[in-house]
Amino acid sequence: MSQQVVAQENILELRDVTVSFGMNRGVSKVLDDVSIDIHRGEILGVVGESGSGKSMLASALLDAVVDPGTVDGEVSYRTDSGETVDILDLEDEELRQLRWEEIAMVFQGAMSFFNPTMKIRGHFLETLKAHDQDVDEGMEHARELLTDLHLEPDRVFDTFPHELSGGMKQRALIALSLILEPNVLVMDEPTAALDLLMQRSILTLLDDLQEKYDLTIVFITHDLPLVKDLCDRIAVMYAFDVMEVFPAGDLSNSTHPYTRSLLNAVPNLTTSLDELRSIEGSAPDPVDIPSGCSYHPRCPLSTPECEQEDPPLEEIAPDQEVACWHHEKVDEELPLALETSDGGSAEVYEGNQSDEPVVVMDDIEVHFETDDGGLLSLFDDPEIVRAVDGVDLEIYENDVVAIVGESGCGKTTFGKTAVGLQEPTGGSVRYRGQDIWETKRGEGTGDRSYDEIRRALQIIHQDPGSSLNPNRKVSSILQVPMKSWQSDLDVEDRKARLLAMLEAAGMSPPEDYADRYPHQLSGGEKQRVALIRALLMNPDLILADEAVSALDVSMRVDMMDLMLTLQDLFDTSYLFISHNLTNARYLAGRAGGRIAVMYLGEIIEIGPAEEIVQNPQHPYTQALHWSTTDLDSNSEGEADESPIRAIDVPDPIDPPSGCRFHPRCPEAREVCATEKPSLDSGTDHCTACFREYSEDHPYWDSEPLGEETIGAHVGGESS
Amino acid sequence: MSDASIENEDIPLEVVSDVDQTWQDTVRSLVNAYVLVPGRIMITDYRALLGFGIVFGYLFVGTVGVWLMEPTTMWDGDRLVQSFETMAHPLGTDPQGRDILTLLVYGTRPILLMMLSGGLFIITIGTAIGTVAGFSRGRLDQILSMITDVALTIPGLPLVIVLAVTLNPESPVLIGILLAINGWGGLARNLRSQVLSIREEDYVEAAKAMNVSTGNVLLKDVLPNMMPYILYNFMSSMRGVLFASVGLYYLGVLPYSQENWGVLLEQAYSGGALTTWSMFHWIFWPIVAVVILSIGLILLSQSTDKLFNPRVRARHE
Ligand code: SF4
Ligand code: SF4
Repeated sequence: MSQQVVAQENILELRDVTVSFGMNRGVSKVLDDVSIDIHRGEILGVVGESGSGKSMLASALLDAVVDPGTVDGEVSYRTDSGETVDILDLEDEELRQLRWEEIAMVFQGAMSFFNPTMKIRGHFLETLKAHDQDVDEGMEHARELLTDLHLEPDRVFDTFPHELSGGMKQRALIALSLILEPNVLVMDEPTAALDLLMQRSILTLLDDLQEKYDLTIVFITHDLPLVKDLCDRIAVMYAFDVMEVFPAGDLSNSTHPYTRSLLNAVPNLTTSLDELRSIEGSAPDPVDIPSGCSYHPRCPLSTPECEQEDPPLEEIAPDQEVACWHHEKVDEELPLALETSDGGSAEVYEGNQSDEPVVVMDDIEVHFETDDGGLLSLFDDPEIVRAVDGVDLEIYENDVVAIVGESGCGKTTFGKTAVGLQEPTGGSVRYRGQDIWETKRGEGTGDRSYDEIRRALQIIHQDPGSSLNPNRKVSSILQVPMKSWQSDLDVEDRKARLLAMLEAAGMSPPEDYADRYPHQLSGGEKQRVALIRALLMNPDLILADEAVSALDVSMRVDMMDLMLTLQDLFDTSYLFISHNLTNARYLAGRAGGRIAVMYLGEIIEIGPAEEIVQNPQHPYTQALHWSTTDLDSNSEGEADESPIRAIDVPDPIDPPSGCRFHPRCPEAREVCATEKPSLDSGTDHCTACFREYSEDHPYWDSEPLGEETIGAHVGGESS
Repeated sequence: MSDASIENEDIPLEVVSDVDQTWQDTVRSLVNAYVLVPGRIMITDYRALLGFGIVFGYLFVGTVGVWLMEPTTMWDGDRLVQSFETMAHPLGTDPQGRDILTLLVYGTRPILLMMLSGGLFIITIGTAIGTVAGFSRGRLDQILSMITDVALTIPGLPLVIVLAVTLNPESPVLIGILLAINGWGGLARNLRSQVLSIREEDYVEAAKAMNVSTGNVLLKDVLPNMMPYILYNFMSSMRGVLFASVGLYYLGVLPYSQENWGVLLEQAYSGGALTTWSMFHWIFWPIVAVVILSIGLILLSQSTDKLFNPRVRARHE
């Protein structure tokens, strides 16, 4: 075996690692004979869908599998001095030292890691003391780390965890995990709960940190395109085992059918919309993994051989291993969609938008008063959060408008205002010319009743776990809308109708689904039920608030396809809210709709979907575009420089003067800090930025505010 | 999935059913939901079964039992017959020769009535005030919360004693309500905070978007989530009323018109049953009756969570 030679540079080696849980249904193997090497100084991406065992791999690396799980096999760690320790053999105390000092870990839920009653400084101090480190020196190091992560140490030290935004918390956690100068950093979905732009910014910072501190990083994620530029190698997991390992630089290196299908299922900004395919079937049950190649029930290339024998992970090129009998045929049979695509635009459901607006929003303002409830607040003026600040939008029949922006930009509040679930504090929302809130108060002049308006505007929520009442069966959940506006239907008619709808949404046999409780449905199925429920009201406009974000990548396309198909049949419009430009492009692009980009309560760019995606004008839209990695860029293990100057969104209580984007805008000039650009109108594609103004605008003569963007200065010089 | 598989005519907004559901079907599904499924869940849990058996036994005694037995009068038997001596007086007699078993059986009914009325009073008032306060926000919430706080801060026992002495109620139903008069505060406050979080659930907003009336939202979307807790409270407030009534009769605060366990205890105690061995059975059996009923209620209340948990229900359909 050639292991002896390679072993020098491996910092971690896993051999035949198996994690199993005894359950009453049988033994559940949540990690199945995994062998993989991790090189010193590399960034290894471990990619898999939920339930592929990727998180278990992280726990096994640190022997942190929770009881009653058992780990077998060998995990050897090579220290700086060249000694090899088997992590699974360590005593508790040795393990405690190894974790954090040698191998540190960052989990997804930063909030649950921090003690909510302790300031950030306390967390650092406590960690240093617990590991007998020199506190002064350690805190100095902490400052440096925080600065590297674009946080102001003095401010952050004195805050409680809940006072930080999600992205800040996650960065503070990364700094905390690096405080003892570990060699290896294991990160389990560290950014999954964050906005795309924040995720990409953190990744850029990680890349710098890795270089500066000589780290080896294991980055576990479900999102292959996200980590592609960051990682050196990518390991793909499916059914609790590694399917292949390949150099990350070029995705066409992947040779496993599963990886290919996964890549072809991800919506992105370059692949033509027709090429996207979801993967048929579902991931296997850990108690009952298919014999032979575990992917064979879903694999288009599967042959009888695959069903008989499990292909071993074999090396096919340097740094590249794959477990598939037919990997040579992959290029031919399953080409990457982004390579074959001619870049042409997809077929769109064109021309069905009418000129008649369904909902018109005019100068909408939604301002909330924050009240902390404390006695002291009696004496202060309440602080005003300007969630939405002067937005106009018209939504037509059969229209799709996607609203894109970071969390906290007011997009959800704006969406709820559009469907009449949130009363604006200024401006008007009109449904077919009739003011919704006036009608509700009975002051309106129009001839529609409020009930009719209410029926026409529906909502699908983000979180599949909370959108359905857990105590009611699907059939009774779906009868609610019909009871609400079609009281002439009796119970059999309602049942027949909901069964037909379930069938139409691809949930068959419908009788079976109708009889289930929500907990017996998958996330995607719950969202389908929520969509059906909304459609049963026969609405004119559905607000889909991040309706696909919580789903696994391969199911998102499915759900969006269903939304589009049903739109065609039911003549509804969608207001689709997302933090992800690719999802927005997929949905709005196929229906020939528009994308509106929101920033701090304002729409800063709006236009036809493909226009916004291919030709973004506003620097912020360009940043969002940057955050959705191009799958076909071939940069090697280098996350490129971010196009923004500050990572965090300013506080909406006190938004920046002038152009609200100026503190983060790479193109900002002095004028931007004092004057406010307005959304130029008249054309299809409007942008609120001085750069779109004519040549003689004062912008062009004023001084730049500074050009340093994130990732440009963290490099080696400060160490 | 292929888009072409869905055709216009399959589209269901126009579909109507060609089968008619008969009233038998409706009854069958109701029986299934409210009798069979709970029954099947209970059978898997011996504690629930035991609790149900005990409570049902008392109900039987309190209703049919009274009807089967002749009331006992003075000098029915000899003075102070010990337990298990004769078949005519299995639990013995008191110093006036009355049959203790018969006294217990006749005492069951007023006690059960008190418990039931007190328990129902507590959960009705507590649930109504708690859910409405939690759901309504603003002024109404403030007023209801204030009333709840007042109910919580008034000391219970003195209030009940004062009311009992001034009103001198005789009907067991009224006594039950009196004993529960300020017991609903804790339930209301607790439900209010539960409703506050349930109100934020997305499905409640979806219901609002579908123009479902507030009453229906409370009934169908909010209450079912809290049912286990409410039922649990029902059981424990019935226990509370049981102890309170027995205790207050024993103290002689409540007027007694009918024989019941509390009255029996008081008579036995003042007759010296605690200190004289030959009278001990006189005070022992009423205590046993109280304790067993209370255990039955505890067992039953422990299983209420299961009855409403959709995960458990789904497995028993
Ligand atoms: S071994 Fe066979 S079934 Fe498995 S991935 Fe390769 S071709 Fe598909
Ligand atoms: S107006 Fe100025 S700060 Fe605002 S986006 Fe344009 S260039 Fe940037």
